[in-house]
Amino acid sequence: MKLIFRFMKKYWYMALLASAFMIGEVYIDLLQPRMMAEIVNEGILGLSNGGKSDLNLVINTGIRMMLVVIGGGLCGLLSAVFTNITGQGAGNDIRKLCFERIMSFSFSQTDDFSTGSLITRITNDVTQVQHLIMQLIRGLVRCLMFFIGGSAALLSLDMSFGVIVACAFPLIIIDVTFVVWRTNPLFTVLQESLDRLNNIIQENVTGIRVVKAFVQEKNEVGRFDEANQHLVDTQFNVMMLLSYLRPVMNIVLNFAVAGIIYVGSNQVQKGAIAPGSVMAAITYISQILNGMMMLAMIFQTLSRGLASTKRLQEVIDTQSEIRQEQLPMEGDGTRGSVQFENVKFIYEDNGAEVLHDINLSITPGETLAVIGATGCGKTSLVSLIPRFYDAAEGHVYVDGVDVRAYDPAELRKKVTVCLQKAEFFSTTIRENIALGDPEANDDEIRKAAAAAQADGFILQQAEGYDTVVAERGMSLSGGQRQRIAIARALLKKGEILILDDVTSALDLKTEAALYAALNREYSDVTKIIIAQRIASVRNADRIVVLDGGTISDCGSHEELMDRSSVYRDIYHSQLKEEEAL
Amino acid sequence: MNQSTKSSAAQRGFGPGNRGGMGKPVEKAKDQKKTLGRLAAYFRPDLKYVLFLGLAVVGAVAASVIAPSLQSNAIDNLVKGAFGEIPGILAAMLMIYILNGVATLLQGFFSARLSQRVIYRLRGELFGKVISLPIPYLDNHSHGDIMSRMTNDAENVSNVISSSLSSLFSGALTLIGTVFMMVRYSLPLTLLTCVTVVLSIVTTNVMSKLMRKYYVRRQQLLGKLNGIVEEKVSSCKTVTAYNLQAPTIREFNEASDEMTKTGIIADVIGNAMGPLMNMINNFSFVIVAAFGAWFALRGMISVGVISAFIIYSKQFSRPINELAQLYGQIQTALAGAERIFDILDAEKEDKSGETRLETTKGIIEFKHVNFSYVPGKQVIHDFNLKVESGKKIALVGSTGSGKTTVINLLMRFYDIDSGEITVDGMNIKNIDCDTLRDTIGIVLQDTVLFTDTVRNNLKYADRSISDKRMIEAAELSNCDKVVAALPDGYDTVLTGAGANLSQGQRQLLTIGRAFLSYPHILILDEATSSVDTRTELHIQNAMVELMKNRTSLIIAHRLSTIRDADQIVVMDHGHIIETGTHDELLAKGGNYYQLYMTQFAGNAT
Repeated sequence: MKLIFRFMKKYWYMALLASAFMIGEVYIDLLQPRMMAEIVNEGILGLSNGGKSDLNLVINTGIRMMLVVIGGGLCGLLSAVFTNITGQGAGNDIRKLCFERIMSFSFSQTDDFSTGSLITRITNDVTQVQHLIMQLIRGLVRCLMFFIGGSAALLSLDMSFGVIVACAFPLIIIDVTFVVWRTNPLFTVLQESLDRLNNIIQENVTGIRVVKAFVQEKNEVGRFDEANQHLVDTQFNVMMLLSYLRPVMNIVLNFAVAGIIYVGSNQVQKGAIAPGSVMAAITYISQILNGMMMLAMIFQTLSRGLASTKRLQEVIDTQSEIRQEQLPMEGDGTRGSVQFENVKFIYEDNGAEVLHDINLSITPGETLAVIGATGCGKTSLVSLIPRFYDAAEGHVYVDGVDVRAYDPAELRKKVTVCLQKAEFFSTTIRENIALGDPEANDDEIRKAAAAAQADGFILQQAEGYDTVVAERGMSLSGGQRQRIAIARALLKKGEILILDDVTSALDLKTEAALYAALNREYSDVTKIIIAQRIASVRNADRIVVLDGGTISDCGSHEELMDRSSVYRDIYHSQLKEEEAL
Repeated sequence: MNQSTKSSAAQRGFGPGNRGGMGKPVEKAKDQKKTLGRLAAYFRPDLKYVLFLGLAVVGAVAASVIAPSLQSNAIDNLVKGAFGEIPGILAAMLMIYILNGVATLLQGFFSARLSQRVIYRLRGELFGKVISLPIPYLDNHSHGDIMSRMTNDAENVSNVISSSLSSLFSGALTLIGTVFMMVRYSLPLTLLTCVTVVLSIVTTNVMSKLMRKYYVRRQQLLGKLNGIVEEKVSSCKTVTAYNLQAPTIREFNEASDEMTKTGIIADVIGNAMGPLMNMINNFSFVIVAAFGAWFALRGMISVGVISAFIIYSKQFSRPINELAQLYGQIQTALAGAERIFDILDAEKEDKSGETRLETTKGIIEFKHVNFSYVPGKQVIHDFNLKVESGKKIALVGSTGSGKTTVINLLMRFYDIDSGEITVDGMNIKNIDCDTLRDTIGIVLQDTVLFTDTVRNNLKYADRSISDKRMIEAAELSNCDKVVAALPDGYDTVLTGAGANLSQGQRQLLTIGRAFLSYPHILILDEATSSVDTRTELHIQNAMVELMKNRTSLIIAHRLSTIRDADQIVVMDHGHIIETGTHDELLAKGGNYYQLYMTQFAGNAT
């Protein structure tokens, strides 16, 4: 709720206007039965006219009523205008703030939420909250006004009608409470079983080759059938519960109408009221009870909206943990140096220690390669440099300054990471490369692409650099994706370039040409290269052998061949026949 | 061949304001009649529910049509001062209302039951179909699109069946019943009421045109915004790594602002419908009252008739408005149903073949095989290859040389254009497809894992395999270490298609899965590309024992992976350009030699 009020503050006068016009609309809605009663009582029945209808009165009051209704319609329209401005405006503000927050999250914060959940929050949940706000302004005001105003109007006709309201009111509340209380938990179950079903569909569609290759069609159909049955059963239960709501409401409502007629007939008999007032009373009681029904709907939106509010509040309350800290900013005057000092890294998700006792100094312009087994922490090691994650212990320095002292954006300007899994946007190849430097001109883009050995195949694409990358880059082969990603990284012109296993899909000739270009054209850039192949690393100035979460050795290819058994193992696993040749 | 695995934005989406279905963009089915007919066929097994639903609706409508006449009767008596009559009429009214309530409840029950049964069948049939579609179909259609047919479209159809069907029926009945009652009371007043109905239809029409314009625009902007969210949030690591937060946020804010502006206009127009209709209803009231009074003055009708008419005229215009809305919903659902039927009509995968392949020696032969994914663009040219039993064959070549295609053909994922592929001398077209695939174990480039425990993922081929054998296979494939690091070991549930594992770890698990199926023929398609070479060597050594007397087919970029092969096949543009052992090919000094030397060249300087 706090969140909602916070965002409505900006629109308070709009909300106020919306509520005021809504009150106006309801007021006129409540006036109508009175005028109708007048038409019936005086015009048609001619009660004060000795039972003769008065057509003039009917027409005059009719015209007055039309005018009033037009006024009411205008109120309704204006209320809608201001409500939408408030609700959608506040929703828009919340959405923008959430998006901004998400963009500032550290990698581990994103991992914690999971991107899927973040997307749902920023789409679905914002819509829910938007509905909630609009309901609060319009629906709540409307219902309450109908209830209060309607009751007042009804009682002003005759106090004895109060009994009917007093009887019908609790019945409706009980009905609504029962249904809402029973359905709400079911909605969660429903969502879960729907997710499960969708997940099975998704897995089978994307993994169809595996399903077919393992001849598992029958089992998958069985798995789907189970989920389908579960979903259908839950859905049926929800629908059944909801279908109690309306008939019971209708019965209560209609009983109340009958009650009004009964009480009314007694009062008419006594001469306390005119028959036309009974008709007005019928309209009032339906308005009151309809207002109650709407209130029930509002409560449903409310409970769903509040759940969404909580989920958005979580996003907004999550401050990026990657923030500039008050640490000395004096560097050592180098451009492109990196130091690791007793670094330990723990993966927050499961508390597993990934790296420990990392001590490493990388000098400007150096080419440093990192090699090691699957899951030994290579990516984690380099992720600490641009502060994608923070070290649990120890320090990481760039140019002699603790990475935590930098403004993260400044730090990432210095450090370029070419991620292992290249992500693409559905735009042209040119723009995908230009992500590295949105200001870059065509020559610079071509130059980066050429160095990344991408220029050739890009030109062979249907529309060259203007070819649109379809389906998130899946329209390109693995090697092509990697080379475009490298071009993007080169275009960024950082001091430190990190290539995280981005040459695995390149054939060795292309890879060699890439490294040659890197050495030729980007000689002053510090290069950190993660790779699996000895061929990819052996030309590096130094090679770090990562084993069991720490640096087992570091040195040139020859040195490591000499003294590192791990390195020799890797070497032999790849090139054992080289000697024989 | 590769398709996006993203979940479509449509599944989540911001969702439109949901006010009045008539304003939303309506798509039309190409052949509505045919689609409707087919959809109707799904009700056949539940004909008794359709019947009960019809009865319930008739009951509810009858009650709601009769009730106003009783009410008007009561008012008449009130005016006449015949107070003694009233309690009797009220009692009758209560009976009718209870009948109405019960009938409505039954209507809800039968409509829920019916819709859930129909949608269960439809969804089941659809899934059964999708899973038996041939691979080319799935490769050529966007996965997002297929997903959306199975979820969104099926959901739309289900909603229409559950809500719209009975509303349609009851709306039509109410309309007929009301008109009947009205005509019975007074024909002139009925005709006058019709004037306002025409007015409301015209208004609705004009307004929905206006609304549609803005809703369509908003829908487009919404799509754009959802696209940005989907793309930028799921690629947020790249956004962060390239310091693109500021421009990304700017782009998002612009799209968000634009959508909000259009959204406000669209919803205001949508919200204006209510007051407008209210005005028309009141206009109708005034007309009924004025002319009713005039008729009453002339003694043509009783005063009670006026009060009945006031109710009837409301009851009359409501179903008309509802039907207008339903029309839009039904059209959307029919368009969805048509898309569903499109899939249901697609040809099933041809799995025919009489011969059951229980065991195989693993002799594979390609004879003059030609193949093209797209007619005219031949991918495999006169491909000839004989693989002897128990041998290890490696396919080498640059991207696009047709290595994976060969595997697709052997698995019968795709059927060849001409030539012949045989296993143990039998044309694979004559082999029962399931038994063919059962004998082949495959590890694919895309590491597909399922949202399930590690155990069930490893035992994917056969759940009845013992844990002991599973652990053996895990050790052989080196994935036992991966499993050991997981919080619940083999009972850890892999989430998000195995997203909590690194690419290399996922590859090890898929290799374990293939080992466990203990295949007669093993295919590894870039199966170890993200696994470090030492681990790979362990796996290779383990395979020597496992694959004794079994044939294996390996595709790899890394020469270390394929060097030990009994035969190395070098492919280029769908042709075989060289075959031989590592040493033979090196000695030959051809393409393979070139490839190998680049590795040296990379090493030498």
